[in-house]
Amino acid sequence: MELLQDLLTTFNFIVQGLWVTISVTAVALTVGLALGITMAIVRVYGHPALQTAVSVYSVVIRATPVIVIIFILFFVISRYINLSPFWAGALALGFASGAYQTEIFRGAIQAVQPGQMIAARAIGMSRLQAIQSIVLPQALRLALPSWGNEATLVLKDSTLVFAVGVPEILRRAQQVSARTFEPFLAFGVALLLYLALTLITTQALQRLERRYRLQV
Amino acid sequence: MKKQMLIILALIAAMLAIGACGGAPAAQPTQPPAQPTQPPAQPEGKLAQIRAVGKLIVGTSADYPPYESIDASGNFVGFDMDLIRAVGENLGVEVEIRDMPFDSLIASLQEGKIDAVIAAMQATAERDEKVDFTIPYRKTKDAFIGAGDTTIIMTKPEDAAGLIIGAQTGTVQEGWIQKTLVATGLTPADKVFSYERADQAALDLASGRVQLVLMDAEPALELAKQNGLKVLLVTETTAEGGKSIAIPEGSSDLKAELDRIIQGLIDDGTVKALEEKHGLP
Repeated sequence: MELLQDLLTTFNFIVQGLWVTISVTAVALTVGLALGITMAIVRVYGHPALQTAVSVYSVVIRATPVIVIIFILFFVISRYINLSPFWAGALALGFASGAYQTEIFRGAIQAVQPGQMIAARAIGMSRLQAIQSIVLPQALRLALPSWGNEATLVLKDSTLVFAVGVPEILRRAQQVSARTFEPFLAFGVALLLYLALTLITTQALQRLERRYRLQV
Repeated sequence: MKKQMLIILALIAAMLAIGACGGAPAAQPTQPPAQPTQPPAQPEGKLAQIRAVGKLIVGTSADYPPYESIDASGNFVGFDMDLIRAVGENLGVEVEIRDMPFDSLIASLQEGKIDAVIAAMQATAERDEKVDFTIPYRKTKDAFIGAGDTTIIMTKPEDAAGLIIGAQTGTVQEGWIQKTLVATGLTPADKVFSYERADQAALDLASGRVQLVLMDAEPALELAKQNGLKVLLVTETTAEGGKSIAIPEGSSDLKAELDRIIQGLIDDGTVKALEEKHGLP
């Protein structure tokens, strides 16, 4: 009974970080999605100079630990632009995820047979039209499984934003653990919350996958 | 293809170079790069700024009870938290506490994200180069512990003379034993035992291999409670340093005012009362 009571208090405390974790992840995934799709298109169809620029971004960002990107945004960039800890953390995760998502979408775009682009051009579509209505609809479907994987990775990377003082689920678990000296209970609750979030995300994405599956 | 690779590498090198240049003046925020040796520009001083805003933003790492932690309803509690609120009251400003990892505290202070740090922090030489420290609000204390059934009675550290004593290797306490007891001939060198970890010393204490162990007071109390040992003496004499509030480098007006307030809180017994409230030795 006492254990149940402990569990309940611990849960009630840690769950207050749930919304923070969800918002950080949502912002990061959205920013990453916008960056990823745009840069993937540039990477495949853009001007050579732009292609190089995107490659550099992708290589440098993927080589940089996410925590370093967070520190750069919070301690260096926010000297010029006033960024709150939340936005510094969420945007840093978004920029990082953008690099990974670029590679996901690039692979997906390249998986659409080049003949389709040529055919679309032959019937008089502009390149932009062809990308928009022929290539992307297929590429996005192909990208879904890997994108789902990236989403769960970003969810767990969201724990890093505590480095600049944003109290998400894991930090709240640490706080409880420090107070009650019951790490298993505290981190167990954190695990359950992450598990629930991951299950919900993957289920939702699987539904999307089924719905938009290519009819071959 | 090879040419493209070269361009990419060159661009990365250029970015890193820019990054390195951009990173260098990081220690001097809000200052144009022309005079990198100057402390942050404070037209009217840090203290005046804080008073103008009416708020002291304090960073801590709330995972170190009884100094700082967060209670079940999300409030910051602990010795440090009560103390900084008392300081804020004396300063006539509201205190806003922000939780962050211990490792991020100094950087946040340097970048002006927070006005002060209170986190059971010692003013080490390395930290002192980056930020300033107030006078210690709490001296570090050591404890002599003995076996549960020991008959030794201590009233001062020198009472340890001649007894078999243990300490952790390379610690301040071991240094004190060597300097005060061994070098003066009070204790023969073969009666001093050096341990890798404090809990090993506690085990030898329980088994009777050593008569006394000298170590940091706070872990000593915990160790004594867990292993049924007896705390014989808690003292400041053998220890060095203390816990201070960290403030931005060069904010001498703030330091003067905080030093004055802290001394006042020590003199009027507030600090002692808070130590008792939080069970600190």
